[in-house]
Amino acid sequence: MKPSIWKWSTRTVVTIGIGAALYGATSWIGIPIGTDTQLRPSIALLAIFGALFGPVVGFIAGFIGHVINDFITSGTVWWGWALGSGISAAFMGLIYLAKGFNPQDGEIRKGHIIQFIVYGVIGIFVSLAFSYLFDIYIMGEPGGKVIVQAAVAGLANTAVFFVLGIPAVWAYAKRNRNDSNLSVDS
Amino acid sequence: MSRTGSLYIEGNSFFHRMDGAVKLILLLSWTVATFLFLDLRIFAVMLAAGAAMLLMAGIPLKRMSFLFWILTVFTVLNSAFILLLTPRFGTTLTGSDTPLIPIGYSTINRETLFYVLTLSLKYMTLLPITLLFIFTTHPSRFAASLNKLGVPYKMAYAVSIAFRYIPDLTQEFRTILNAMQMRGLGISRGDGSLRRRLKNLSLIVVPLLQSSLQHIESVSDAMDLRGFGTGRRRTWYMGTVMSLADKLAIMLCLLLLGLAIFLKLQIFREFWYPF
Amino acid sequence: MQPVISFRNFSFRYKKQSKPTLININLDILRGEKIWIAGPSGSGKSTLAHCINGLIPFSYRGDISGELWLNGQPAASLGIFERSRSVGTILQNPDAQFVGQTVGEDVAFQMENEAVPQPDMKVRVLSSLDLVGMLDYEAQGPHDLSGGQKQSVSLAGVLTTQADILLFDEPLANLDPVSGMRAMALIEDIHRRSGKTVIIIEHRVEDVLEQPVDRIIVMDGGEIVAAGSPERILLDGVLPEHGLRQPLYLEALAYAGVPAEEWSHPVQLGAGAPTQQSPTQQLGAALASAEPDKLARLRASLEQWAGSIPVRIPSVRDGDPKDPLLEVRNVTYAYPGGREVVRGISFQIYPGETVALLGNNGAGKSTLSGLITGLMKPRSGAIALRGEDISSWSIRRRGEQIGYVLQNPHQMITQHMIRDEVGLGLAARGVAAEERERRIEEALRICGLYPYRNWPVSALSFGQKKRLCIASVLVLDPALIILDEPTAGQDYRHYTEFMGFIERLAARGTAFLFITHDMHLALEYADRAVILADGEAIAEGKVAGLLSDAEVTGKARLREDSLSRFARLCGLSSPSRLVEAYLAVHKGGQLSDE
Repeated sequence: MKPSIWKWSTRTVVTIGIGAALYGATSWIGIPIGTDTQLRPSIALLAIFGALFGPVVGFIAGFIGHVINDFITSGTVWWGWALGSGISAAFMGLIYLAKGFNPQDGEIRKGHIIQFIVYGVIGIFVSLAFSYLFDIYIMGEPGGKVIVQAAVAGLANTAVFFVLGIPAVWAYAKRNRNDSNLSVDS
Repeated sequence: MSRTGSLYIEGNSFFHRMDGAVKLILLLSWTVATFLFLDLRIFAVMLAAGAAMLLMAGIPLKRMSFLFWILTVFTVLNSAFILLLTPRFGTTLTGSDTPLIPIGYSTINRETLFYVLTLSLKYMTLLPITLLFIFTTHPSRFAASLNKLGVPYKMAYAVSIAFRYIPDLTQEFRTILNAMQMRGLGISRGDGSLRRRLKNLSLIVVPLLQSSLQHIESVSDAMDLRGFGTGRRRTWYMGTVMSLADKLAIMLCLLLLGLAIFLKLQIFREFWYPF
Repeated sequence: MQPVISFRNFSFRYKKQSKPTLININLDILRGEKIWIAGPSGSGKSTLAHCINGLIPFSYRGDISGELWLNGQPAASLGIFERSRSVGTILQNPDAQFVGQTVGEDVAFQMENEAVPQPDMKVRVLSSLDLVGMLDYEAQGPHDLSGGQKQSVSLAGVLTTQADILLFDEPLANLDPVSGMRAMALIEDIHRRSGKTVIIIEHRVEDVLEQPVDRIIVMDGGEIVAAGSPERILLDGVLPEHGLRQPLYLEALAYAGVPAEEWSHPVQLGAGAPTQQSPTQQLGAALASAEPDKLARLRASLEQWAGSIPVRIPSVRDGDPKDPLLEVRNVTYAYPGGREVVRGISFQIYPGETVALLGNNGAGKSTLSGLITGLMKPRSGAIALRGEDISSWSIRRRGEQIGYVLQNPHQMITQHMIRDEVGLGLAARGVAAEERERRIEEALRICGLYPYRNWPVSALSFGQKKRLCIASVLVLDPALIILDEPTAGQDYRHYTEFMGFIERLAARGTAFLFITHDMHLALEYADRAVILADGEAIAEGKVAGLLSDAEVTGKARLREDSLSRFARLCGLSSPSRLVEAYLAVHKGGQLSDE
């Protein structure tokens, strides 16, 4: 049985904390693909944490991780983008609610991956739409410019989600499958 | 970044002594106030006030300059981006159009230039107060203050754990990365094509995740064994008690926020363009 | 007297396992006793600890049968939090246990959860820190402390509670020898002063025996196989029967044909009253107070035996001078703007040689391995591979010649299938598929994993996973492999197995560099050792000689190995001679076992 997403056990607290720390610990690294945009593994880690622990953990871990990382590395918190990180993780975490999906016990089907892709892509674009509106209405940035930024970031995040996030969840579930009939080949 | 994963610097200024919850309220109301406006005069006043508070806190300038430069580089790039992508955006705010610099496909006008300046100052206005907060607040007092402001203690403790384990996980990430690189599975430029490097990046996620899950397991065991989460509330060893000055500071913050909202509604409604 | 902990026909099976981990345990622990629960990995000793502190059934579910009583109450009626008021647990991994951001905060953690008012907390934190000698560190963060200090903090945290049972789950697993010794002394100190019941779960025999214990409980295969006084257990030879290592001096006495009874515990045997001395201390006392004739006879038989053993096989370097494979020349490193952590270090590794880089935590070992692998750049000095300066080489390029294996295999393994894991480095280097298959199979054969080549990684044991990491590095055909703490956390059986495997690899011509604080490892398996202390190389040479040199071990804050100490206490003219003879016979025995 998967624990309910609303139950705050010690494990939930620790998972959020470690998830946020992991986000902070990995966001300094990335592969630059053009100016100002990087393929960063941190978004993939959010996807994984969402899938393994549900949308609530994903949202909070993503948001806290982003804010702490901003505190430490840039001295300014980009609230819009921090909430955006949380939103995409929450959407990706919706897969946790899917019937029969339980990577901890090795239970995953192809159909789950399709669902995961749908949630993830929607999540990424909802979060960017949010950050886009936030930048325009709260910061007063020109829409023509923000849309370019959001589109580039959206494509980069989607790429990372596909290349790192999905395979990692699949591999994780496969690893936890019980292999009861192994035989030694000489 | 120091090894503790935070930028906190020991000190005994007014702001060091200030209750963490008050500083958080200050940070949030300052941020909201900044968000409200697009007015150079307001930002100039706030920036000056912020800088004065920073000086009062006596944080070594050397420690802050790095973050200052990061933001400067960001705003310059951001401005250049705006000027190139939307060279005449200022017109939509002011209605006027004063061409200034031709850039081939269009002309950057004076309105946009002034707008970019205002926007840069807006970003800058957020800096001193954030610096003040992160340099004078011990991260574990931070968790205690969140709880005091009404954030459930479990959530506040999650924040504390994040601060606690960022350095550990960063170190671990480096170790894993190094070992991978020795096997020829690195992610830096010399390690192959973009495709190859992406593939390698995806490999690193696996051990990193594995060890994070191990961390979760053992840290939760340790916390369960010491009675975390059993009570409806908990006390904080690092918690502080609000002084009269702290309470006055909260009132002042709220008053200023109220003033800001009033100003926004009544006087400084729009983008300020003096020409 | 009513026992504080009482197991009655107690069995436990984890939910996901088909066989029980604990089988029919019957055990009474009395108030104020100091108990050592010994056993190899997988013997069930940690599971037993989890049953006591409540992690079973609270966090790990399964089937329990039989009874467990805590302070006269059935344990099943107590939640994990209620149990924490009578049982304080100090976990194996000090980093996981240390959840606070400062020492004071961590010590206060349980009181915070019980909503103790802040002023009370301050008082109790300070008095607990004082008890463990950590008062000066109250405001420090975990990153400023060593593993041993973190453990002391955990102990202080437990002491803030009323818990009258202290449960230590493998307290030595992550500590270097000196910290381990201090930890055991601290535990004894607290035990004596507070009179609390102490339960230590551990497989490192010599370290535990540095301090007195009342009873040893030996577990194997989920059952209690022996229980009794330390004297009894040691003399009966129970430990080696169950994959634990008995103290080296007992083995040496046996080799030399001296009956152990005469020397280990002459006074206490049969005396009945619990002793206040550890077996190691008793031995020292017995030697010091022995009649001169008797001591002379012991000396004579030891020396005669040692003399009859031919000196060890000459090291690879002798006779055939070769050029060094790796040369570290006068290397210095400092953190940017910080102090020097490594100063003027020079040493060489010759082809096919096995060298141990030995030192305590903080001596600069990991910095040095970082410099060799290219993670860091030296401030001055140079590192050369086959005479060529590699300063400008990338990490990747160094990796073509030097293999680097981490302590924890989980930090290296990325693939689901064993074969894929081994082939990963080859694929990245663009080796053709056919060649790749050939090399993968060869590496798997060498590492004894060939029969499992089509298995998923998750089906392997911890030791096999470590071998897999070696295979995945070996497949790239490096001339030198660096092993970071190769035997950490493994019990004697697995340790011997793994190091035997490394020895066979070394015999094939691969050079090895062990980065370690484990003196036994260096003693038994390295041709030479370089000893690091405070960032400097203070000695270099054959390990037996170095470790019986009190000046060297003192300076490096290493512990004198127990056999050298024994030889010294006996008054042997050349302690290292006895050590070498012991090693020769011991290794010879191991080889013939295979």
